[in-house]
Amino acid sequence: MFDWQPTNLLSASTWDVRDHCVALEANNLSEILSSQAFPSVESPDLWVLSPKAVALKIPRTAPKVTSFTFPEAPAWVQAQPPIPGAKPQAVKTMSPDAIGEESSKKPTITRIKPPGDVIKLEDRLYYVLQPPLETLIKSDALHFPFEPFPYQYQGVAFLYPRYAAVLADEMGLGKTMQSITAIRMLLRSGELRSVLLICPKPLVTNWKREFTQWAPEIPLSIIEGDASRRHWLWQQDGVPVKIANYELLMRDKEEVLGEGMHFDLVMLDEAQRIKNINNTTSEIVRAIPRTRNWALTGTPIENSPDDIVGIFEFLSPGYMRTGMPAKRLGELARDYILRRTKEMVLTDMPPKMFRDAELDLSPEQRATYEIAENEGVINLNELGDSITIQHVFELVLRLKQICNFDPATGTSSKLERLEADLEEVAASGRKAIVFSQWVHSIEIIAKKLERLGVLQYHGKIPSKQRDPILKQFKEDKSKHVILMSYGAGSVGLNLQFCEYVFLFDRWWNPAIEDQAINRAHRIGVAGPVTVTRMLALSTIEERINQVLEHKRELFNSIMNQTGAHADLRLTQQQIFGLFNLRTPKGPIKQAA
Amino acid sequence: MTTGKSVPAIGFLTVTEHAEHGLFGGYLILNVSGRPLEFHCTAPLKPSRAQEILYGPTLRPFLFGEQIGQTLLAKAKVKPLLVCTDATAMLAAREFSDVPLLLVQTDGMELKTANLSEPFALGCRKVFTSASYDEDQRNVLDKWSTAHADSLDLLEPFTRIREALEEAQKTVRPTTVPTAA
Repeated sequence: MFDWQPTNLLSASTWDVRDHCVALEANNLSEILSSQAFPSVESPDLWVLSPKAVALKIPRTAPKVTSFTFPEAPAWVQAQPPIPGAKPQAVKTMSPDAIGEESSKKPTITRIKPPGDVIKLEDRLYYVLQPPLETLIKSDALHFPFEPFPYQYQGVAFLYPRYAAVLADEMGLGKTMQSITAIRMLLRSGELRSVLLICPKPLVTNWKREFTQWAPEIPLSIIEGDASRRHWLWQQDGVPVKIANYELLMRDKEEVLGEGMHFDLVMLDEAQRIKNINNTTSEIVRAIPRTRNWALTGTPIENSPDDIVGIFEFLSPGYMRTGMPAKRLGELARDYILRRTKEMVLTDMPPKMFRDAELDLSPEQRATYEIAENEGVINLNELGDSITIQHVFELVLRLKQICNFDPATGTSSKLERLEADLEEVAASGRKAIVFSQWVHSIEIIAKKLERLGVLQYHGKIPSKQRDPILKQFKEDKSKHVILMSYGAGSVGLNLQFCEYVFLFDRWWNPAIEDQAINRAHRIGVAGPVTVTRMLALSTIEERINQVLEHKRELFNSIMNQTGAHADLRLTQQQIFGLFNLRTPKGPIKQAA
Repeated sequence: MTTGKSVPAIGFLTVTEHAEHGLFGGYLILNVSGRPLEFHCTAPLKPSRAQEILYGPTLRPFLFGEQIGQTLLAKAKVKPLLVCTDATAMLAAREFSDVPLLLVQTDGMELKTANLSEPFALGCRKVFTSASYDEDQRNVLDKWSTAHADSLDLLEPFTRIREALEEAQKTVRPTTVPTAA
């Protein structure tokens, strides 16, 4: 047998069977080989068979990096200083095994998203990379008196990055809290340094109270007092938030538009005040030097789609034009307006129940009413083409007053019903708000219902007495009813401890009625709110109610951006149609 | 390289994979309240066929840790107390930095093949370090206790990075960096 001795083939440069490859040590075979002539063997050059190392170069090109650096806000960057005297908090340690259960509870996260009009990538990333609002609050940077609702976080996240914004939540959803929190966060992050809040005069104290509750650390300056004091207040530096009212802007025009005056943010409460671009207040507001513009309103469209154009003239002049189709206005406004209704966000909020008290007039009222209407219509017809809407309004108001009380005898089917209902409210220890258009009606009701513990809140009550009245109504258990005029009591007040609202007569505009009702039906309300709408049958009130319902439907169609074109003003035909009057030729002299 | 600026900060390093463009790296540095201080992102990186063959199973640690991680960590101006990642392969970047690098566990994360330390808790998350760096766990716990960062969810910032990378992709047309000839 052969005995194989392997040798290194690759080291050979020539080929010789005797020297390489295998050594054959078999006796017989050796003999045979030695006895025979050895064949000549050709030796090829095996260099060509040896492998060649090929070096593959794999370049390690570092990827290109784009870097963004964000401004450091000292208040946020630095860890919160420990509260003096407080025990140092131990680091919460947790077993890794327990983590799975803990982290499976997914917390609500509200993120700030860059608005569509922020173009620069660095600016967009600044907002994208901000922490969720919940994280900021948990990090002890902000304290809240109570946990905001998720939709309120969303409202803050909406306002925070915007230079032009309308927060148009329905009354009672907390526009005040949301805007204060957004301002607070922007002040803390250094993005805002000076804010001017403009609101109706009766709401100044309300705003002051809300700032104290939601952002107690922010110094405020209320612009009030005589001219020299106001001058000093306007010029005051170091107070980040100034609160002024619309009424004094006219007087302080020179101050607010003066040289060197500039605000990082001007925020308008009840911004529907500037819907008419030609009114002086609107002109002054639009001229204030500012960087950011926010508007708060529960009723961005009160009468006409053009109302929203007026507000946008403040937010972004020229962005919208009067007469644009409703659909186009809706598209343009989409990224700038946030509107939620209670039905949308507070699914677990106690309901608002409407109860229409449809009443027949007392015989005395009916007799007076018939005479007044018949004579009124005859007089209007006699006016011919010289008739104006003002003439029609005068008759409407006259008839509505008769629906409240008979002027000759003082009888009132509404008051009788109201008295019965309020006795029940008082007996059960609850509280009610009664709204009327007229102070005169309120005074009559107050006199009649004195024994039920009635308070009054209307234009005749001096401003300084109003807050104490509200406080008394809230705290005094013997006071069960507050009588309010729509003008004084429909906006900005928090009366969620009331469970009953009575509309003794109806306002022209359903939005104003909603605002009034929402004084009681708002966040914090403990139980359902019952709204009683009083209506005298077969009178002008019933006819107006039909128009109001129609307007309400139109409002919803615009805000839902269905694209329906709707002019919400009472048309010439509608107003004259209240009395089946012929529409005169020529322009209407006064708008509804 | 970092300047060692003395701001208590935490880094978050990750990679997103895009089917067409490849890998995008993102590095976010936050202060302990969660506010952004710096953000760095890479142009997309796509391995060549040669790299895929030659690196084999080590390709991802190479791309994540050495190519993307190392580059991004070097760009930061602020030196963070620690850096977190949600990608196991990114732990390879620890070799190129003197800052502890943590792997934050995510749902469904594959951990069997990774060379990891024993898990430990940080805030509300389970984290690991590379087993090759024993001392990292102790260092991290020391730094965490002084950072007052308990309110920070160590997974949440990765969502921000991914959104930021998407935002950047929308705005800038990416140019793939060739990584091999």
